[in-house]
Formats: sequence, C-alpha cells, structure tokens
Amino acid sequence: MENASSINRKHLAWIERIPGQYWAVAILLLLMPLFAGDFVLFQIFGWTFILGIIALSLMFLAGYGGMVSLVQMSIAGMAGYMLAIFGDSAVSQVSQGWPWYLTIPLALAIACLFATAVGWLAVRTEGIYTIMITLAISAAFFYFTRQNYDIFNGFSGFNSVVPPALFGVNWRDPVAFYYLSLFWATVSFLAVLYLSRAPFGLALQGVRDNPRRMAALGYNVTAHRVAAYAFSGLLAGVGGILLTWQSTQISPGTVGIGAAIDILVIAVMGGLRHPIGAFVGAFIFVLLKTFARDFLLILGLGGERFQLLIGLGFLAIVYFSPDGILGLWDKLRNWQKRDHLLEKKERNL
Amino acid sequence: MRVFARNHPIWTVIIGFATLVFVWLIFALWPPFLVDVIGKKKVFLSALLNGITLGGLYFLVASGFTLIFGLMRNVNLAHGSLYLFGGYVGYFAAEWTGYWLMAFPVAFVVVGCLGVLMQLYVFRKLEGQDLRQTLVTIGISIVLADLMLWGFGGDFYNIAAPDWLSGPMETFIATGVKRSTGELIFLKYPLVRMVIFFAAVVLGVSMWLVLNRTRIGMLVRAGVDDREMLSATGARIQIVFLGVFAFGAGLAGIAGVVGGTFQSVAPGEDIRFLLASLVVVIVGGMGSIPGAALGALIIGVAEQFGSVYFPTYAVVLTFLIMVVVLAFRPQGLMGER
Amino acid sequence: MNALTPTGTTTQTVSENALELTGMTKKFGALAALTDINIAVQPGERRAILGSNGAGKTTLFNCISGDFPPTAGTIKLFGEDVTNFPPQERIRRGLRRTYQISLLFAGLSVFDNIYLACRGVSRGRFSFLRPKADDALIASAEELVKVVHLEDVRDTIVAELSYGQQRQLEIAMAFSGAPRFILFDEPAAGLSPTERSELVEILTGLPAHMGFIIIEHDMDVALRVAQSVTMMHNGRIFKEGSPEEIENDPEVQALYLGDDHE
Repeated sequence: MENASSINRKHLAWIERIPGQYWAVAILLLLMPLFAGDFVLFQIFGWTFILGIIALSLMFLAGYGGMVSLVQMSIAGMAGYMLAIFGDSAVSQVSQGWPWYLTIPLALAIACLFATAVGWLAVRTEGIYTIMITLAISAAFFYFTRQNYDIFNGFSGFNSVVPPALFGVNWRDPVAFYYLSLFWATVSFLAVLYLSRAPFGLALQGVRDNPRRMAALGYNVTAHRVAAYAFSGLLAGVGGILLTWQSTQISPGTVGIGAAIDILVIAVMGGLRHPIGAFVGAFIFVLLKTFARDFLLILGLGGERFQLLIGLGFLAIVYFSPDGILGLWDKLRNWQKRDHLLEKKERNL
Repeated sequence: MRVFARNHPIWTVIIGFATLVFVWLIFALWPPFLVDVIGKKKVFLSALLNGITLGGLYFLVASGFTLIFGLMRNVNLAHGSLYLFGGYVGYFAAEWTGYWLMAFPVAFVVVGCLGVLMQLYVFRKLEGQDLRQTLVTIGISIVLADLMLWGFGGDFYNIAAPDWLSGPMETFIATGVKRSTGELIFLKYPLVRMVIFFAAVVLGVSMWLVLNRTRIGMLVRAGVDDREMLSATGARIQIVFLGVFAFGAGLAGIAGVVGGTFQSVAPGEDIRFLLASLVVVIVGGMGSIPGAALGALIIGVAEQFGSVYFPTYAVVLTFLIMVVVLAFRPQGLMGER
Repeated sequence: MNALTPTGTTTQTVSENALELTGMTKKFGALAALTDINIAVQPGERRAILGSNGAGKTTLFNCISGDFPPTAGTIKLFGEDVTNFPPQERIRRGLRRTYQISLLFAGLSVFDNIYLACRGVSRGRFSFLRPKADDALIASAEELVKVVHLEDVRDTIVAELSYGQQRQLEIAMAFSGAPRFILFDEPAAGLSPTERSELVEILTGLPAHMGFIIIEHDMDVALRVAQSVTMMHNGRIFKEGSPEEIENDPEVQALYLGDDHE
C-alpha cells in the first residue's frame, strides 16, 4: 500500500513528510467559504463529507479487512434514529428530549453495538457471504423502521432534528455546517490512516490476506473482524448524525436498499485501496446527483434516468478499473513515469 | 435421515412430535377452545396453503440463485432483475399469443439467453474474481431495473390465469361441519396455486434427479466440489458454466411468470425477490437444492403466518429466522461448512 | 542473534523431549493417513522426515500444529500434553511451522509480514496505537529480516517478490517470537541451487537450542541439515537412523529407486 515512499524520508519530521498535494488540498478546503456559495458549501461539500465518512467506514472493512459490508448505511441510520428518538424532534410522542451531551454519545454507542452484532453474525462464514448477509440485514432494518410506529414512527420517520446551538452558533448555517462536516471528515480520514499502520490495522490486513496464517500466528481472527465492524460502526454513526442534522429528518427512505448500495458504489468508484478514495467517490457521486438531470437532458434522455447513468458508470469502473478512480490515477502516473524512461530512472513519488 | 436421527436424538424426537401435532391440526376438526385461541381453522389452513405455495415460488427463484452460486461461486445479485424481466416477458407473451402456458417457455428462453450473454461477455472475463463478479451483478441490476422502469413504466401488470385454471378446487381437508346437514365442509383453494405448486415440486424433483443421477449432473457436481479438477479432466467446463447459468437464469424467468400470476409484475419486485432468494438461501444453505426447498418452505410459511397472525411484523419474522440460523448454524440448515 | 533467543527461563529437565508423539493415528473416514506413529525429538535435535507422496508427512505436521485433532494418540510439547489444544495455544508454547505453499500476506511488505508474526505471540495485538520507533518488537523484526537475507527488499510488497524470496520470508515467519521448536514443510521446494545452499546455511546456522523437524523431497538438503532421519511409508514409520545409515540402507534404496539426488 502506501509505505515505500516513507522509507526515504524518515529523517524528516512528520509534518515535513506530508506530500505537497495534501497541503494544497487542505488549504483549498479551508478557504473554500471565501469563494463558494451557500449551495456549494452546504449541499455539495456537506453531503460529500457525510457520504464520504460513511463510505470510509465501508472502505475500512472492505479495503483493510476484505469484508464488503452493505450494512453501513443502516448503521448510520441507526445513529440518526437514536438521536431523533432520545433527543428533540417534531414527533413529540416518541422523542425523549434529552440533552445533546447524552444523546450524541448514546446514539454513537448504539450504532457501535449494532455494528458489532451484525459483525458477529456476518464474519463466521466465508467472506463471499458477507455481501449477502449484510444486504439482508440492511433490508430487515429498513422494513422494521417502516413498520414500527412505537419507536421508529414508521413511514414518516422523524423531522425537525437539529444540532444543538453550541457556542451560540447555528450549526446548520452553511459556513458553520461546512466546517463541522469538514472537521469530522478530516478526523475520520486521519484516524483510519493512522490505524492502518497500528497493530490492530496491520493485523486486520493480515486477516484479509491470509486468515489461516493469522490463526497459525496466534491471532483470534473472528475477534479482529468483529472489532473492525465495531470501529466502522463508530465512523458510520458519526456520518449518520451529520446526515440527520443536514436534512433535519430521518425516515426509512434514508436507510433503504438504494441508499445502502449507493455507499458501495461510492466506495468502489473512488477506490478501496486508500481512505481518500471514499471522499473522491463521494464527491463525484454528489456532483453526478446534483447535475445529472441537466446532463441527461442535454443527452436527450429524461432527467429521471439518473440510476441508469450511475449504474453504467459503476459497471464501467468495475469492469475497466477495479481499483476505482484511484486505480485510474495510479495507471496515469505510471504511464507518465514511463515517458521519461530514456532520460532518468523513475523518481520515488 | 437415519444418520441425523442417530446423531441428534433429542432434535429428532422434537421434530417428530411437532410433525404429529401438525398433522393433527390439519386433518382433525378443531375443538372450540382451539378456535378461541388461534382463530378459525379455515384461516389457519389458508395461511398454511398460501405459505406452501408461496414457498414453491420462492423455491423456483432461489434454486436458480443457489445453483449459480454453488457451481460458479458467483453471488448473482442481478437475479431479482432476471426474475422481473421474466415476468414482463411472460406477460407480453401471454397477451400476444393468448395462451397463458406460452408465457413459460418464452420467459425461460428469453431470460436464459440474457443469462448466456451475461456469462459470455461479463463473467467469463472476470473468471476467478468472485468479489468483482458480484459487484458487476450489482451494476447490471441497477441498469436493468432502470431500463425496465423506462420501458414498461411503473404500472402493476397481472398475468391472468387461464379459465381452465381459475376458480377454487375442493380439497379433502375438512374445516368444519355443516350445521344443517352434519356434512363435512371441505376447504376450497384456488386451483392455479395448487397446480403451480405441484409443477414446482415436479421441477425440483427433476432437478435433483438430473443432478444426482445423470452424467451431466455428475459433471456439475464435480465442478462444484473442485473447479480445477473438472477442467483438468478435459470436460468443457465453460460449456457447463454456460449451461448452468442459462438454466438458472431461465428458472428465474419462469419464477417471474409465476409471481406475475400469483401477485403482480411491477418495479420493486426485483428487489423483493432478490431479498427473498437471499434469505431462503441463507436459511437453507448455499449451493444446496434441497436446502433451497427447505428454506423456501420455511420462509414462505413463516411469511404467510406472520401476515395473518402478526400483521405489523410479518416481514421481521422471516428476517428473525434468518438471524437465528446465522447465529447458531451460519452455514445454513443444509449447508456444509 | 537475540531475536531467536528465548526470553525468560524454561523449567525443563534434560531428559524431557521437545516433541513426543505416542501412538498417533489419523483417519479420514475409512482412509488411515497415519497409523501408530511414535516419535521422540529432543530439544535442539534436527530431525528429517522423508517419504514419498502420500506417506503422511504433511498430515503429521497438521496434527502436530493443531489444524485437526488426531483420531488417537497423544502429542506432548516440552512435556506438556497439547493433544487437545487449539493452534494458537501451541504457538504460544514455542511451536512454529512453515507451509509447503507459502502462506504470506500478499498486500503487505516483507517487514510488515514479519512484524505481524512477531506480534502474534505477544500482547497488544489489538492495540490502536502505533508502536514507537524503538519498540522491542520492531527491533526483533528488523533482525529477522537480516537473518533470512531479505534486507534489500524490506519494504517490497510480498506480491512483487520472487518465488525464492517468498520462501525465505516464509521461513522468517517461523523464526518470529523466539520459537523453541519448528516444523519445516518442504522449505526447498522450487528453489534454485544457489537458493538451496542459502537455505542450508540458514538452517544449519540456527542456535543450538532450537530443534526442528524438516519434511523434504530433496534428500540432499534434508541429509545435510539433519542429525537423525525418520522414514515414513503409507502412514507408518518405516525406518529411523542417522543420515549415513539411511542413505546406505538397502531397503530404503529399493523403495526409492530412481529417487533423484540433486
């Protein structure tokens, strides 16, 4: 993965080791509100960061753990639902009205527990069943939220779920929400990157590559997999809370099969090899979703053929570049390297 | 079965006892206290028979799915789309020819051909990459679903059963006694559902026979056990794959016609029956035709009983069964580890 | 070579065997893969187990490492009965094993592979914190890379290594965490003559306290590194003796007529 380049730069301090491209992107993102309008900040970037966090939770499981889970959106939704149920919403007969410092940790904890339970059910069979099992569980959760009125308020779900006005800020204000979601996206991204080289992350990759050898080396393979699900549940939970605040509502539609598959599409399109792929995929997905209608009209197709576009795009990516956009980017870089073969040997990029 | 009885004596006793109770429930006239507790026998029997016949439908869909997985280790998540496409094709075939029976072979052939195309141009290129194949099937299902929505619209199509099959038939199960004459009242049940169910049983038995008693079946089973060995023996493994995929797809198509007759053909049915296949196969065991039959029966009956006796949580009941099986026997009831 | 030296003391008497198999039998249904195997290997002893394909050698290893339990018989590791222990318990008591087909982590670097192997028997497997640069395990892993002559490719992804390098890495995995006894399953398979000499060098250069059993088809490699030889045939022990005795034994020669001395 991303280790060869670091060996030559060990003598530099960690802050000097971050490649220049990362700095450029970071500065651009920090200064975005100076030149982007409210719609771009709140809808495009806000949604990108949120979907990116949830897709990151899938990338963690699939890229580092070899487990493709379709239940991530349900876990995110569980956090959102718990937030609405224990906190404030317009559905006063269900919402408990507890304060934010109780509801947020509680929602995250429940999402984490849910993820752990699903993980335990899904990891004790061969890897290929994971997609099936998680898809079925995701569907079960969807149907349950739609049919249960005592807790989940059925078909309508919850609305008027807003973030607390901490520090006197309205966090749904476009600029504020932009920075809030940017913050959590950065934290999640860095956490996953850091964890990938910690013993837990390395062991997870070992389990992905050769579970039999890991067992023979003394690791408890099942425990590692379940723990990975728990961590991914935490990530998805954060995304779910932000998602609920952005649209101020949560309903069965949020956690439907379509939404679950969207997350898979995002993660695969971006590339499962590196955490940044989740956000790249999310950005492209959001752009497509926002502008596809106009794009389709130009092509002469009806504006409703969005799913067709996404499906064809997804098929193209999986068929031609299974490593997603990141894979294409890598191929491009390699092709560029080869151009200078006559002059110098490739530089360590 | 004898091996099972020897290895699990307690379970055998429990299952035996439950079966006796069950048979009594079906054939005996219910005493009043039972009617007070459970409700009318007629309702019970309707739910049971609806569940069994629905199980037949689920078997048709799930067996194709499990056959494809069993041999080619490909989790074909486009299976629901094949089902739905079969339904539409069957509907138009029945409409244009005027014969309901024509819907079946037409759907089988058309959807089977689609399966052949998928195998030839998609899966063959991705041989050995199980995950990638599954992702591709997801993409295909998204595209197919939208194309069908575009082409056929959002309406509900119902395939009308022919006259000679419509209407109820008399069964030999008694539900009560005529007060005036003391005669037994027998349950009446829609003929078309019974006929289709028996057709599904015949199909299932034939599949089992072909797999276990013919040379072709032996090739397929050998391929399931060890793909490399099969190609090493010189058997044209690609032809076997092609045939199995086409047959599995064709089955899904036929199931679509059945579903269109029982219920309807509409957008969303693809996801519904894909999920049903998943649950049936998880419960029954992957790669096992008898497992698909057992799973289909359990899920079908559970779903119907759920919708009659616990209407708010009917669907949850089936998923609960799935979760329980996953927790205690992850490979499925008839699956091998 | 402090990466290979055991930490802490072991309370074992001189007469205690490192590995003791008594009456071990393994049946798969009606097929008897192993019948009444009795083997005693002393600490530090280097034993070669030879035999044609199907003699039961790999099944023997699988039983010893705990992949499946024997149908009958007992296994003792340094005097402790481990017959019913799961694989990780045997690992923690100092047993290691290499595999005929390298079981490596294809997506990780050489160093990461060895580091994981070292981590496996120590605490902190679930640690979320990255180790500091002066972590003891990192030092052990670095040394092991040197022991198997893989310093040049330390950061190369395993998928990009040559076959010979992968086999070397496979052996390094077995040296992790100060093992007391190692099972080598055909380590020379597919190696070039140079690589084979390197292998012999590594094996003969191991510390004296570390005993091992080596399964090999290549009689040359096996007889050069072993102090004693056990021959197996059809799941039973056929002959035992020193390398010279076995090499010159007429019965052995008859059985393996035409077997290549490469």
